[in-house]
Amino acid sequence: MLNLVDRPGPSPIFGNGERANRLQSTRFGGKLVNAYWESLFRAKEEGKKVVWYNGTYIPPFFHAHDLAWVHGEAWSAYLAAKHGEMPAQKAGEQRGYDRELCSYARTHIGQALIDLGKLKDGTLGIAPDDERAVTMAKLPPPDMIINAYPYCSSGQQWDDITYRLFGKKVPMFTVSIPLLWGGRPDAGYLRGEEWEQRSRYVADQLVAMTRFLEEHTGRKYNFDRLSEVMGYVKKAARLRLEAMDLCTATPSPASFFDWIVSIAPVNFLPGDQNLVTYFEGVKAEIKERAERGIGAVKDEKYRLFFDGMMNWNKVGWLADKFAAVNACVVAGRYTHMSFWQEPELIDLDEPVLGMAQNYLICPNNHGAPIMIGEIERICDKFGIGGMVMHASRTCRGMTNSQFLIAESAKRNGRQALFFEGDVADESFYKDELLNTRLEAMIESMEAQRRAA
Amino acid sequence: MEDVLDLFEDVAADSLGYARRWKEETGGRVIGVLPMHFPAELAHAAGALPVILQEDEEPITIGHKSVFNFYCGFNRSLIDQALRGKFSGLDAIMFGDHCVQLLGTADVIRANIPGLPILFNQLCSIIDAEWALAETERTFQQLWKELETLIGRKIDEADVRASIRLFNRDRGLMRRLYDLRRNGQIALSARQMQAVVKSSMVMDKAQHCALLERFLTQKRSEPSAVRSVRVFLSGHLCHAPKLDILDLIETCGGRVVDDDLYHGFRFIFADIDEQAPPVRALADWYLSRNRKVPCPTRAVKGADWEQYLLKAVADCRADGLIVLMAKFCEPHMFFYPEIKEAFERRGVPHLLVETEHEGVALEALKTRLETFMEITRRAVAA
Ligand code: SF4
Ligand code: SF4
Repeated sequence: MLNLVDRPGPSPIFGNGERANRLQSTRFGGKLVNAYWESLFRAKEEGKKVVWYNGTYIPPFFHAHDLAWVHGEAWSAYLAAKHGEMPAQKAGEQRGYDRELCSYARTHIGQALIDLGKLKDGTLGIAPDDERAVTMAKLPPPDMIINAYPYCSSGQQWDDITYRLFGKKVPMFTVSIPLLWGGRPDAGYLRGEEWEQRSRYVADQLVAMTRFLEEHTGRKYNFDRLSEVMGYVKKAARLRLEAMDLCTATPSPASFFDWIVSIAPVNFLPGDQNLVTYFEGVKAEIKERAERGIGAVKDEKYRLFFDGMMNWNKVGWLADKFAAVNACVVAGRYTHMSFWQEPELIDLDEPVLGMAQNYLICPNNHGAPIMIGEIERICDKFGIGGMVMHASRTCRGMTNSQFLIAESAKRNGRQALFFEGDVADESFYKDELLNTRLEAMIESMEAQRRAA
Repeated sequence: MEDVLDLFEDVAADSLGYARRWKEETGGRVIGVLPMHFPAELAHAAGALPVILQEDEEPITIGHKSVFNFYCGFNRSLIDQALRGKFSGLDAIMFGDHCVQLLGTADVIRANIPGLPILFNQLCSIIDAEWALAETERTFQQLWKELETLIGRKIDEADVRASIRLFNRDRGLMRRLYDLRRNGQIALSARQMQAVVKSSMVMDKAQHCALLERFLTQKRSEPSAVRSVRVFLSGHLCHAPKLDILDLIETCGGRVVDDDLYHGFRFIFADIDEQAPPVRALADWYLSRNRKVPCPTRAVKGADWEQYLLKAVADCRADGLIVLMAKFCEPHMFFYPEIKEAFERRGVPHLLVETEHEGVALEALKTRLETFMEITRRAVAA
């Protein structure tokens, strides 16, 4: 899983040339993200221990223990925003990491290789005094590595490699977040024996993780602090959901792409008042837009759902592309089915269980029947007419059930298109193919609209 | 002796055909088992024929509508077989490995064969975690319970122990073959060795054991093969490497003396304790795997595939290593650079061969293999 740092870029020459009407309030997020990185770069000077972690949104555990944390995916995204992913991927390739491997892992591992000093050889396509190299050099190395990747085995293997790259000397802890298969008769969304058992299983591991943190910091873990941090997170999460709900309005005041740029706060930024302020701002702007009938897309005619991992190199590009055919991507699996999407499960007196449960219901961690049931529910709620399926080449975590999702969409009278791309390797993206398929889908939706 | 091998080859070539005939003859249940870590012993103790599901030779056709072409050949083939109705003879499938691609396949099979019970139990993949033993025992207990529900009666502990003993016997016999091959005391081609192991994944165990015992008493000494390059084969998780690749390695001057293939030594290296309570014994067997033959789909600190390989190659006096890697197999792709670097550092010749369900261009591979054999010969001579 990944978070976004938005990358300004050119707009596609396509459709009516309209561009997405992005929310202004999300800019505050950019400031928060930058402040986060700046404080991280100072972590060692401030005497803080640094955890590198991958996977789900566990930073509240670190925040409550006064640690600094690096979300591997976020770091790669940060570099991508500075166009630094290419040298990292090249570094990975030079060590023999196949292009078909999760490009996120490849970027991160390649980056670690660069961090480990190989940059000096001058073989990695980036000079040591390049501004990007200077940024890269600022990242503090890990004192601990934690992996907490729901569902995807690649996520676990990726950290295994990071652990090896650092000479197997940095203490590492892995939290297993198993798939909720949902095969027993009592299985359902947030219910059944499997749900109960798995929730406790993950919660116990999270508690074990706090013992690991204690062991490697020599300090007692303070669960009251965790409750306090989670108080902000819960508030922010509620505001986010309320703001999302306002997008049932037509035209939709915000789009999937606005929610994409709002992931960082609920994924890896510190749980403090800023999070709440961020989502208060987002909600207020959305509310105002809804009242004034302003859409995220000019003359919204079609409402779409985005399935799959984000194509991080193309966020702005895609936002504009859909806007150019009057299509608003209103919701998505990645944004609407993850990142504290069930805040009411969190009991602030005893937050760990509810946190585990939120981690368990990440957007691909349900077996297909329950996951698709949730997708259909969201599509109905937001009046979705078509599905955009991003077949992200190297991310099996998010492509696994896509054919089943598309079949279900069609059964429910929704159009579906597939387009090829990738999470962080731009070379897999095929713009022409998306253009043709999007035009064809819009035509069919138009025909459907007229017939209705 | 040849007739036993022929039989093994026939079963290996058509595992579902064998299962169908077994079912017709015995009226028993056939349970499909997913690689690479499920204890088929439990299904056997339930009176069923456990059959490890295999990639088949058919090109992917109808499966295209349900799986992307950037998934490994095994997953694509499983899905294609499911959609072609090939699993109609199965009474259940034991599913739930950690590989993300297989998790997707489980769902496609569930959606397309709704009546087929899937006993889904995901094993803990961090096998040195402090909770790994408790969690693994819980998983096997759950599987035991689900098998009981499937067959409608209790599975006796004594039956599980008997199955464990039988499976151990079969593994032990195959390991003897491996020893003989390592020591040059038996002439078995890589193709034949694969047939021995692959058929054991499918056949009635008692029958397989009896045939193997007969085979071992009839074995003949290996003719001298002075000029061949001793090769260790590594990798190829979940599904069997194509036979034409194995043949080509040998026609290019190699002789496979050992391997860590799943359709090879990885399948048979460890026995299950026959004295301990069965669930505990199964869990110990599972959790100790990486310390013996490391698997990249599991994580254990301190167990290194590349170190294991360097030692295994030296122990069997192989001259070089050929890594067979199924295209799109992520666990393997993640760990291959570690192997490559370790072998480069040690100066042991090695070659990476990427395989595909659709087959590989044999002419190009032939040239690469010939060059590899030449380099290896020179390295040995130096
Ligand atoms: S394959 Fe996808 S889900 Fe898995 S680690 Fe990579 S980005 Fe994450
Ligand atoms: S481990 Fe490799 S071969 Fe096995 S199913 Fe996964 S990708 Fe395929």
